[in-house]
Amino acid sequence: MIQKKICLLGASGVGKTSLVKQFVEGIFNEKYLTSIGVKVDKKIISLAEQQVQLMLWDIEGQDRYHVFQERYLRGAAAYIIVVDQTRTISLRQGIDIHTLARQSTNCPAILAVNKNDLPAAWRLDEDEYASLAPLFDLHFSTSAKTGEQVEAMFLAIAELLHGNKKNDITT
Amino acid sequence: MPKKPSSEQLGSQQDIEQVRALILGKENHLVKETIKKEARHTVSHVLTEALHDRQNQDGSVDKVLQPLVEEAVKHSVNHNRERLVSSLYPIVGSLVRKSVTAFLADFMEKTNQLIENSLTIKGIKWRIKAWQSGVSFAQYAASQTFVYRVEHILLIHRETGLLLKAVDLHDNGKSTADLISSMLTAINDFVGDSFLANEDGLKEQLQSVSTDNFSLLIKPGPCALVVAAVIGNAPQKVSDQLQLTLEEVHRLYLEELNNFDGDDLPFDNSENLLRDCLLSEEKSLKKNTGTMSWPAWVLAGILVLFAAFQVITWFGNQQLADRIRQLDLQPGIILKQLNVLGHDEILLDVLRDPDAITIHDWFQTNGLSMDAVKLSERRYFSLDPDILYRRAQQLLKPYPDLNINWQNNILILSGTLDLLNTEKLLNALSVAGFSEEVNLNTRQLGSVSAIAPDNEPDIKQHVFNTLIGRISSVQFDFAVASEEVTPKMQLLLQSVYQDITRLIPLAKELNLDFALVVIGSSDKSGNKTANRALSLNRAQNIAQALIQLGLSKKSIFVTGLGQLDIARVGDTARAVMLNVLVTSKAIPQARSR
Ligand SMILES: Nc1nc2c(ncn2[C@@H]2O[C@H](COP(=O)(O)OP(=O)(O)OP(=O)(O)O)[C@@H](O)[C@H]2O)c(=O)[nH]1
Ligand SMILES: [Mg+2]
Repeated sequence: MIQKKICLLGASGVGKTSLVKQFVEGIFNEKYLTSIGVKVDKKIISLAEQQVQLMLWDIEGQDRYHVFQERYLRGAAAYIIVVDQTRTISLRQGIDIHTLARQSTNCPAILAVNKNDLPAAWRLDEDEYASLAPLFDLHFSTSAKTGEQVEAMFLAIAELLHGNKKNDITT
Repeated sequence: MPKKPSSEQLGSQQDIEQVRALILGKENHLVKETIKKEARHTVSHVLTEALHDRQNQDGSVDKVLQPLVEEAVKHSVNHNRERLVSSLYPIVGSLVRKSVTAFLADFMEKTNQLIENSLTIKGIKWRIKAWQSGVSFAQYAASQTFVYRVEHILLIHRETGLLLKAVDLHDNGKSTADLISSMLTAINDFVGDSFLANEDGLKEQLQSVSTDNFSLLIKPGPCALVVAAVIGNAPQKVSDQLQLTLEEVHRLYLEELNNFDGDDLPFDNSENLLRDCLLSEEKSLKKNTGTMSWPAWVLAGILVLFAAFQVITWFGNQQLADRIRQLDLQPGIILKQLNVLGHDEILLDVLRDPDAITIHDWFQTNGLSMDAVKLSERRYFSLDPDILYRRAQQLLKPYPDLNINWQNNILILSGTLDLLNTEKLLNALSVAGFSEEVNLNTRQLGSVSAIAPDNEPDIKQHVFNTLIGRISSVQFDFAVASEEVTPKMQLLLQSVYQDITRLIPLAKELNLDFALVVIGSSDKSGNKTANRALSLNRAQNIAQALIQLGLSKKSIFVTGLGQLDIARVGDTARAVMLNVLVTSKAIPQARSR
């Protein structure tokens, strides 16, 4: 079986744990229990030809000690930067983390703008968006609460990674 | 023998050469040339696999390569010392560290064992054994207590923390092994970053994680980790084997490890390597199968004594139970349950007729003690002949003039008794379980016709009514199409006759007249007129029998009902019924009755 390590990065409280929980168990909880260290979960995704097991590394919020623990990123096949659309600051923090992460890996990066069931605190104008979009391989507007785009995002990541691998073989 | 074929072989080898030369001729060198060109490509494809296979076959690759590698290393040491040292440094460093930890672990293990065992019987035994075999106690203790089992082996990719291969003792899949792998790697990363690097500049590595039930032994290598989940006290041997396996994995799968992209398929074959690590050792099993130690003997002795004691008590209890079981033979007593738990606890559950001997008396007469008996007794009404006789004796006590004869379990009464008392007695006897024909014979019991003048007319009337009721309830049953009076009916006829003779004086005194109506019936089968005749004949025969016994023909009226068309009884209504018609002597009184 193909296994892929996927890391979830982002500021505290943006919904990394919630996204994993929604995706793996289909559960959402309003209660906020901040994560410490790493919690690894897994889920098998069936693609057209093959199954891929995603090992999801839910990593503690990276703003707490203002240090980015790049050690957990080692060997990741992709990472998801999660931001909270109700807090503008979380987007800035997300971009910072992304910049730091790029120093240790160049694997695909995905942007997840989470909590899309709540009103957004910011609006990106064309220019901003144009400067932001190329930084990421994929981006999604998700909600861990309603489950919107959650499954779709992980499926797209699995396909992206699987496609990458196939390309490797053919080229 | 072997020589001859070899010379033959040589011959055939030459033959082939000749054939080849003939076929290829001068072109021979061309073919060789082409093969040579392709050789590099062809061999490079299979070289690794071939080496791998050959090594597995007979281990000869090692032997061939060893001198070459030694030569190469020597060369490197001479010309490239700096580079070699820097690459070997981490290995040497961690080896040193490992041996120190191993030493410490070993030391701890032994010390623990010492503390645990030195004060027990086992400890003393071991001391003696160690002294006998001339080794130190510590050595002996250590050799005795390594009991462990490796349950799972995980091979984990160092960089990604992904599980490459898992094997376990019970072959139940890798359900959580992949999560454990990732979490372990995460913890390892955490440890590596959270503690200061040690003096040789290497990051700290987790060596083991322990829980109450098992410990995880972790062997980190440059590209992969081998982790063993061990139950019990893993000896250094396990650690050594893990190290060997880890090195082997790196040797065989270096390429795959470096190019790992999440697909664990290439590592499928590592299973056999990993299985080597599923070591275990069972706790001094041989000791137990061999000679028995003295505590075992003592234990066995105690067990035998205990068993013997149990058998003896069981036997005793059984004998006691057999004796008590005799109680069941006692008339009027039924033994429902007997449970002899010991001489001091006997559970006894009985049914007893009030006229039977008391349980207490029975125990006494049989020389048994009631002290240990937990008795639960309930009353019942027994029809055992002995009890019936005892009951009859009591009932007959007020009539000392009557003769009592107890023969073949039948009570035969003879003598004379006045009518009223006769009725009373017969009633009492029937309540006590006696019935005419079965166990009572009153044919020789004569009634004194005169009734004492002081008898109240009411009582007489009551007796009269009782007799009439009894007579009216009599029914003679006939066989199909039969009108014959059977000997069995005779008994009943006899009692009817007696009742009627008792009725006569009473009627006179009460100023009444009565007549016996004999009614015959027949079932539905057959022709209606025939049935009418049959029913009448049956009634006539019964009447005739009564007349023969001495009844006056004048007071009998005979009739036949023919067939009875009644749903339930119509098919079986082959009978003769009796009824008594009573009238007052004075006509006007008869009207009022
Ligand atoms: N409405 C809404 N609430 C969300 C959503 N996702 C997460 N939350 C809530 O946000 C809070 C934080 O969620 P977590 O998933 O614990 O956040 P986290 O990123 O794991 O936080 P740390 O572990 O501290 O880094 C919780 O109370 C969640 O219920 C969402 O999509 N919609
Ligand atoms: Mg969390």
